[in-house]
Amino acid sequence: MNDPYQTLGISESATDEEIKQAYRKLAKKYHPDNYHDNPLADLAQEKMKEINAAYEEVQRRRGSGRTASGYGGYQDQQYRGTGSSVLQQVRAAIQVGDISRADALLANISDHNAEWNFLKGAVCLRRGWMDEAARYYQTACQMDPGNMEYRRALDMMEGRRGGFQTGGEPFGTMCAGNPCLPLCCAYMFCPGFFCC
Amino acid sequence: MFGYVLPPQDLPEEELNRFRRAYCGLCHTLGRRYGTAARFILNYDFTYLAILLSEREESVCRKSRCMAHPVHGREYLEDSAALDLAADESVILAYWQLRDGVADHDWLHGLKYRGLSGVLEPAYRKASTARPGFTESTRRQLARLAELEQAQCASIDRAADAFAVLLQEAASEVRDPVRRRVLAQMLYHLGRWVYLVDAADDLKKDAASGNYNPVALRFGLADGQWTENTRQEFARTLDQSIWMMISAFELWDFGVWTPVLQRTLYAGLFQVGRAVLEGRFRKRSRKKKTQERDT
Repeated sequence: MNDPYQTLGISESATDEEIKQAYRKLAKKYHPDNYHDNPLADLAQEKMKEINAAYEEVQRRRGSGRTASGYGGYQDQQYRGTGSSVLQQVRAAIQVGDISRADALLANISDHNAEWNFLKGAVCLRRGWMDEAARYYQTACQMDPGNMEYRRALDMMEGRRGGFQTGGEPFGTMCAGNPCLPLCCAYMFCPGFFCC
Repeated sequence: MFGYVLPPQDLPEEELNRFRRAYCGLCHTLGRRYGTAARFILNYDFTYLAILLSEREESVCRKSRCMAHPVHGREYLEDSAALDLAADESVILAYWQLRDGVADHDWLHGLKYRGLSGVLEPAYRKASTARPGFTESTRRQLARLAELEQAQCASIDRAADAFAVLLQEAASEVRDPVRRRVLAQMLYHLGRWVYLVDAADDLKKDAASGNYNPVALRFGLADGQWTENTRQEFARTLDQSIWMMISAFELWDFGVWTPVLQRTLYAGLFQVGRAVLEGRFRKRSRKKKTQERDT
């Protein structure tokens, strides 16, 4: 095992509070929400395990007795639908990362219902086709507004950024280099320098 | 297609110098492998490629004078396997970029491209022998791109996919499987982002000339003018690619290159994207170039 302090990016003389903060920051960065539908989710999961193990080890060495209950959080994404058996096969294919097969199965289905649109969105997202993914997810949500799975997928896609923020910096193309940023980002279109 | 990936404006001096050493290192490597004439293809984009392919530590540093810096000289990174690979791939990419210029222009206006690609031809032949896999995949993706253009493809994802896969292949010779996956993901979305930003930058020009522009088709911008909503929607899809790059970047230790890559991903690309969407990118970069020349 690597040096747990190094894994957490802190020195051995760090205070308990500093350790906790470093751990929280990393756990937020590699949080499953940031890697939802991401083809590298398995690597992020590994990273999370390392961080959790390092935090536990540091706690143990310091004899604090408390173990990190932590942000375990990574469960394999379940694509358990209620739809037809072909759609079930699509979910299974996505689950194992066989995106071409999932796409081929979807192409053979003529009934483009909400679940079809949702699964098509998931396929696009894994390919990196972000524009189409967003549109399929939106269609799925419009067709079945009460479905939490579809809603969550769309929210994840549009909201993924939380743990990556480095500070109070602008984060987003239409917010870059603008000092009055979070407001602009969330609520309105920034017309360049006139924003403030 | 090149010229959009730049070191961010507020990069600290130390990091800027490190970036310069990589830039000069790639230039020297190009010169050594392909002769002085090949050095004209050097740009920031290829420097980033070299940095991504580099090891965590800087290789040995040297200092010498060159044509661009005849008086004081510059420090540069000594030849390495990563710089060799980056130089070979740069030659292949630059050559096809020039051939694309030939295909896009009539005989008279294509002269410049034909001349330059002629100059680069021997270098390209050598590079394509050294990297047959990358040459073949580049050719295949460019053929796909040409087909999509011909068919007036209105899906920005599909059109961008060809260029994104092309760039992704630049990582295929990386040995460590985790590192290869991380780089492939970063390069895919870098390619997607570059392709889309380039198309957005050409909106007005393409609207005037009637050339194919996937962004105009996707958002229905007949006159090349954004509306507030379409601009926001497009910015969101650019952001998503940048987040994908960041989420991959955070999974690998890039050693000494971490700060420059981090600043570029977390700030630089957003700055460029915004400048393009507000129609002030070219102006700024020209002004900057003149300033650099004057100093």
